[in-house]
Order: sequence, then structure tokens, then C-alpha cells
Amino acid sequence: MSVVTLKINDIDVAAEAGKTVLDAAREAGIRIPTLCHLDGVSDVGACRLCLIEIKGIPKLLPACVTEVAEGMDVTTHTPQLDEYRRMTVEMLFSEGNHVCAVCVANENCELQDVAIEVGMDHSRFTYRFPERGVDISHPQFGIDHNRCILCTRCVRVCDEIEGAHVWDVAGRGAAAKVITGLNQPWGDVDACTACGKCVDACPTGSIFRKGSTASELDRDRGKLEFLVKAREENQWTR
Amino acid sequence: MSKTVVIDPVTRIEGHAKISIFLNDAGDVDDARFHVVEFRGFEKFCEGRPMFEMAGITARICGICPVSHLLAAAKTGDKILAVQVPPAGEKLRRLMNLAQIIQSHTLSFFHLSSPDFLLGWDSDPAKRNVFGLMEANPDLARAGIRLRQFGQTVIELLGAKKIHAAWAVPGGVRSPLSEEGLQWIRDRLPESRQTIETALGLFKQLLDNTLKDEIDIFGQFDSLFMSLVAPDGTWEHYGGHIRFVDSQGNIVADGLREEDYQDFLDEAVEPWSYLKFPYYKPMGYPDGMYRVGPLARLNVCDRMGTPDADRELQEFRQRAGGRCATSSFMYHYARLLEVLACIERIEQYVDDPDLLSSRCRAKAEINNLEGVGVSEAPRGTLFHHYNVDENGLIEKVNLIIATGQNNLAMNKTVTQIAQHYIHNNDVAEGFLNRVEAGIRNFDPCLSCSTHAVGQMPLHIELLAPDKTVINTIYRD
Amino acid sequence: MSFLDLDEWLFEVAKFADIVYSPVASDIKDYPEDVDVCLVEGAVANEENLELLYKVRQRTKFVISFGDCAVTANVPAMRNMLGSSEPVLKRCYLELGDKTAQLPHEPGIVPELLDRVRPIHELVEIDLFIPGCPPSAPRIQAAIEPLLKGEQPVMEGRSMIKFG
Repeated sequence: MSVVTLKINDIDVAAEAGKTVLDAAREAGIRIPTLCHLDGVSDVGACRLCLIEIKGIPKLLPACVTEVAEGMDVTTHTPQLDEYRRMTVEMLFSEGNHVCAVCVANENCELQDVAIEVGMDHSRFTYRFPERGVDISHPQFGIDHNRCILCTRCVRVCDEIEGAHVWDVAGRGAAAKVITGLNQPWGDVDACTACGKCVDACPTGSIFRKGSTASELDRDRGKLEFLVKAREENQWTR
Repeated sequence: MSKTVVIDPVTRIEGHAKISIFLNDAGDVDDARFHVVEFRGFEKFCEGRPMFEMAGITARICGICPVSHLLAAAKTGDKILAVQVPPAGEKLRRLMNLAQIIQSHTLSFFHLSSPDFLLGWDSDPAKRNVFGLMEANPDLARAGIRLRQFGQTVIELLGAKKIHAAWAVPGGVRSPLSEEGLQWIRDRLPESRQTIETALGLFKQLLDNTLKDEIDIFGQFDSLFMSLVAPDGTWEHYGGHIRFVDSQGNIVADGLREEDYQDFLDEAVEPWSYLKFPYYKPMGYPDGMYRVGPLARLNVCDRMGTPDADRELQEFRQRAGGRCATSSFMYHYARLLEVLACIERIEQYVDDPDLLSSRCRAKAEINNLEGVGVSEAPRGTLFHHYNVDENGLIEKVNLIIATGQNNLAMNKTVTQIAQHYIHNNDVAEGFLNRVEAGIRNFDPCLSCSTHAVGQMPLHIELLAPDKTVINTIYRD
Repeated sequence: MSFLDLDEWLFEVAKFADIVYSPVASDIKDYPEDVDVCLVEGAVANEENLELLYKVRQRTKFVISFGDCAVTANVPAMRNMLGSSEPVLKRCYLELGDKTAQLPHEPGIVPELLDRVRPIHELVEIDLFIPGCPPSAPRIQAAIEPLLKGEQPVMEGRSMIKFG
């Protein structure tokens, strides 16, 4: 195992080669906001919240998919980065239909948390109010596309941990959406094992347990981490 | 020449409204109309939402009585799940409704209407409000504010939020009361009772003296009255069945079920208001005018069911000169009496161990595709009616809101008051304030009734040393 | 309504401020000139909301967008997904009315709905945002207390800016 040394926010950090800047920053106790990152599954750099500056590289890079390198000089927080992050969150809010007040995930939502973190007290972008649907054909779960931010955590958790690959992304641009099976009603998809990992993975109130009322959704994020750890490190208790 | 006076906006009510007063050539009042000018359209945009979210969404119809919508939505959900709510769940829901009636009635009396009674109809409009009351009678204002706080805090203790607590759910409630919460309620009850007894005494005194004439002017007419009553005819705010009585107190219809509301209620539309005009269907429109709310509940029931409130009801009926009080002005009296009844009921509740029981929610899947739920909001009977698909997605919603059912009566009340006071084109500010007070009788909640959000700016001006009083302007 | 949850702190507000216009707490009918601070509640849904909002902006030094409906358009904006105001009006007054079914229409009295419900900052400049559905009394107090002293409140963290 080789180790590289780098600077994050002028602090010297040592990290295992092959790790991401996000991992290295976290180990050093530096917080970078994320939404599409989920411990235990691969990273895709979809949400752009973890964008960082690296000296000598003329563009911003997502920390979750950027590997550490010897001598790297990383800055995670500047007024400009903070402003970009806030804009990103505002765009997420204006892109979908996020009505926090009546959402099952109110008080327990990573999008809401990250909005607080970046200091968003309103959105400067005009809301799109897209027409999107709700599918509660599954006996236990439902998906409300209004609240989906296309982080694809459900897609990855179902594929990489459960191995069922029920979820996918279809369409492009504004029409992009997560789908179940071959764009069938979720209740019709035989491949679904009803394990509920996608519910635990979803950062917003998009995927929920049926019967949840406003602010009632709770998730067991620890379960996903535990499963990954159990498999990788043979630790079967938690 | 005939002309129209428009009062815009009607103030010290919840929501946006106007009143038109039509004067004839002689400058007397031909007619008056009450216009509600906001509309949101909940009935349409709730379509496609999961049924379980309806309580949370419809609670957003209104900031004063979200609990009413919460309960009506939850009760509609009970029917769709086809479950019986556990006893603890029902008692907890009832407790929250009692608390809400207390806070809402207190707001209506102390914050909105009492400035007219205590400062005077013709007093300075810049001061004729809750802040003026705080200046003129700080003890009474503080007691009123604290009584409302009592109701609001009980709601918060149950639902963890004062306004818009999404705590009542299809099947019951999410959580019971805590031991500490119960103790807080016990500790605060004596003060609350003291306040309402004082207010009730004060209002009766006013009725004997300065407000004597108002009874016959502020909406004195015959109509039907509708509300829920318990199976044995006792005052009810949550369950029971629907009863109609006439102005003499004769029962017109009894034992009606909310599921059948379309048999006895219908809603007319007039082009000059976003508020529809519900009426008692067998008598047609507009003859089927009926009133709902505190006055109706007192007129409809046989007894209150608690000793002090029953004694007060007897006095109330004596003063009204019969079984039914027919003046809309008596709504204020009825409201105070109901607050006493609610406090008395809470006093009886606080020793019930069920309030702490966690067996308060029944769970089930979608078992019925249609449900109608009803509850008594502070302002009157509230109906929710949902149709859902096999999975529980809302297909159709109909809401009949308490305030709307008083629409015909509100129009009749403002016309009566305008005709009494306004002659020879003399539209003095104090007269117009009395016309508005005709609306305040009903404590309407217009956000609810048109399912509209009132855009309600609240404006603060910092004190300037030479501040001038701003004139009240009415548009002609 | 949440403003009234300030309960007895309202006495403190009254010491420092005059309430010069409020449909709930004042009988003044026309929005006065030279107002120092205005809390605007609610989204802009009809012509009159818009007219009043412009007037408020013109005559007020410091305009606060107050509550989620004003800040995001919130639940009332759920009709925006339907494209226009027509579907909601039709359902309520034509399909759910009796034989008198018709759309309300009285120019000058009953304001026409706008096709889209909008947050107020899309239409006028805003000096402070207080989100929340509703903003809790402690949040309102924490935002207003500095203003009464002529200071700008710090709108940061869960207690001050969480939506919903």
C-alpha cells in the first residue's frame, strides 16, 4: 500500500494511493458537501456539489471521483466555490418540485440539509414546475419523481449491493428520469426483491415507504454501510 | 345617482375579502355583497398525490385551523383504510381539536373582534386593533394572548409544531402525549379557566349595556343551523352525526351521515365571489340557507355535557329568548362559551391514562376506494371527500369548508347592517366598520373557504418622533 | 398567524414599532407611504396580489419575504404543474358546482388568477428572506429583534433558514 502526500486547504495530508480527494479530506476532518456520493457504492460525480480547486488545473474537479496524487494542492472552500455550491443547490430546487412543507422527508432530507449548509434562503433561479408523476404500484414502496434529483444512488445501490438492477436512468436533459425495469410500473417489476435499499439510499423524499405521511420518512443509512463492510471485511455484526 | 361603496380589504379577518354596498338614488342601501377574492384550487392539484399525504397538504390550506384539515383528512383516511382508530388515538385527536378550538376562538375574540367592543366601533381605525387593545387594556390583552398560547402549546405538545403539525394520520395519531406535556397542561388549566370566565363575564356585561342593540342589527334572521351532535344529542366536535334544526329549534333532519352529504348539501356559484354558496338541498337555493360554527353547534345540541358549560348554555338560551339564538352577533358569545366547554373537557381528560398510550395508530392498506371524513372546525362542519385508485393515489377531491357554509348568512348579515346604518349617502368610517364586523361575527377563514392562500402582509413602521395618523381610505 | 405565536413578545414589538398596515392587525385600508419594514406573506397568485406587492415595494424601505409561500410559492404553486389556472377553476366551479355552475368573473371586484403562482422575489427586490412553513416564532423573533435595533439579522443555519 503506497501513500501519497498532498495539501488540502494548506494542511498536509497523507492518503492511500487510489483514494479520492473526498476520502482524503474526510479523513483529515474537512467537510465537503455531497449529494450523489453514498458510502459503499461507486461514485459518479453527478451532483457537482463537491467541486474543488486544484492548483495547476484550470477547471474545477469533483472531489468524489478525483484520485489523490503526490504533491496535489487542493482548496475545498473559497467564496467562489461556496457560491457555485449554492447555485447548484438552487438549481436542484428549481429543476424539480420540492415542496418541503408537505414532503415525507421534511426534517430528514439531505437536499434540505445541504441547502442549509450552503446558506440558501431562496432560489435565484425561476422554478420550472415540471409535470412529473408518482408511482405507488409497488406493494411496499413508492417513487415521487417530483422530488428526484437524479443522483442515481438508487440505481447504484440496487445494482452494486442488492444485485437486482431494477433501477436505471432513461431520457435525456429535462426529460431524464429514473425508471424501474423497462420503464414499467414498479409493482410489475419481477426483479425487485423489495429489499428497500433504494429507500435507505435516496437522499430526498423521492423513494419512500408507502403510508408515510409528511415528515415521517426515516431511513437506515447504517444498514448499507454495514452490508458493504460485512462483505468486504467479513464483519458480520453491527 | 346610485353608487357603489367598496370596502377593500375587509380587515381583522383571516383572508382577503371585499364588501360592495349598493346605494340607491336616495342614498340608502339596496343591497350588499361579500366578495372573497382569493382562490387556490386544492381540489385539482391534490390529484395524483398519495392519499397519505393529504393530511399534510390540506393542513396547508390554512394557518389558523390546520388541525381541522388534519383531522378531516385523517378521518377520511380511516375510511379508505377501513380501520377503527384505537381509543387512545381518538382521545388524542379530540384533545388536539379542543386545543385548536380554544386557540382559534381566542384569536377571534381577543385579537380580532374585541377592539370593536372595548375601544368602540367609531374609535380611531389606526388604533382599533390588537395592539391598541394591548395599550388600552394590557391585562386583558395579555390574558387573551396567554389563553391562545395555551391552545397552541397543547397542539405543539401533541404534534411537535404549533402550526401545520402533521400528526394525525389515517388510522390514528403518530405519538401519544408525554408525561411532562400532560403535566404542563394540568398546570396551565386553572389560569386558562380564569381567563375565559373573565371574558365570558365581560362579554355578558357588554351585551347588557353597550352592545345591547347590536343583537338585533348584526344579522338577526331565521335560518337553519347544522352541526355534528353526539348520538345522545350532546355537543360534539369530532364524531357523532349531522343534525339540522330550524330557528325555533325544531329538528329538520337528524342522524345524517357524512357519506351522504351530497344528498343534503349542494353548492351554488355566483360570478362575484370565489366563495361558493352551499345550501340545504331539500329547500333549494337560496332558501336552504343554513349557518354552521359555534352558534349552530349551541343551537343544534341538546346539552353541552359538562356542568359549567351546561349552566352557561341555559343562560345563553335564556338571553336568546328561546332554544335558538338567531342573531349572528351571538357567535361571539357562543365562541366564548365553547372555549369554556373545551377547557372543561380537557380538565376531565387529563387524568385519562390513554393519553399516554402508544397504542394510538392502526395500520392497513387501501381497502376502500372512496371516503368522506368530517370534523367540526372552530368555524363549523368541515367535509373531506376523496376517491383513490387501487394504490391509493388521489383521483378526485371535494372539500366543503366550514366558512363557505356561512356564505349566504354572511351576505344577509352585511346587508342588514348596511341597511340599518347607512342613509343619505352617509358612509362614515364607523358605519363601514360595523358592516365589516358583520363578517367578523362569523370569524371566517377565507384561506380555507376558497382553499386560497391569503396574501397577508404585516407591516411594521418604526416609531418616528412626529408620527402622523394615517387616514383610512375607502375606495368608492 | 405564526407571527401571533410571538405571544407576549408582541408587547416588546409594540414598544418599538407601529403596526401601520395588516389585514389581521389593523383597519388601515390603503398601504401607507414611508413604511420602514414590511413582512410579505403568501405567493403572488392573482392580479391584485401583484398590484399590492408593487405598491408595497414602492412605499417600503425594507421588504421581507416571509414564509415558504412568499419565498418558494410552496403548496399554492402546485397548480403550476397543471400549466394554467383553468384546470383548477374548472374543477371547483364547473364540475363541483350545482346547476348554477359558472366561473367567477367580476372585473374590478374578483381578481383574475395569474396563470402561474410565483414567489415574490421574482417580481420585486427583496431585502430579507425568512423561509419556513410557517417560520417558527423563535425564528421570527431572531430575525426581527436585530431589525428593531437597526441591525441586519444573520440568516444562517437550521434554526433560521430550513424550508418546510
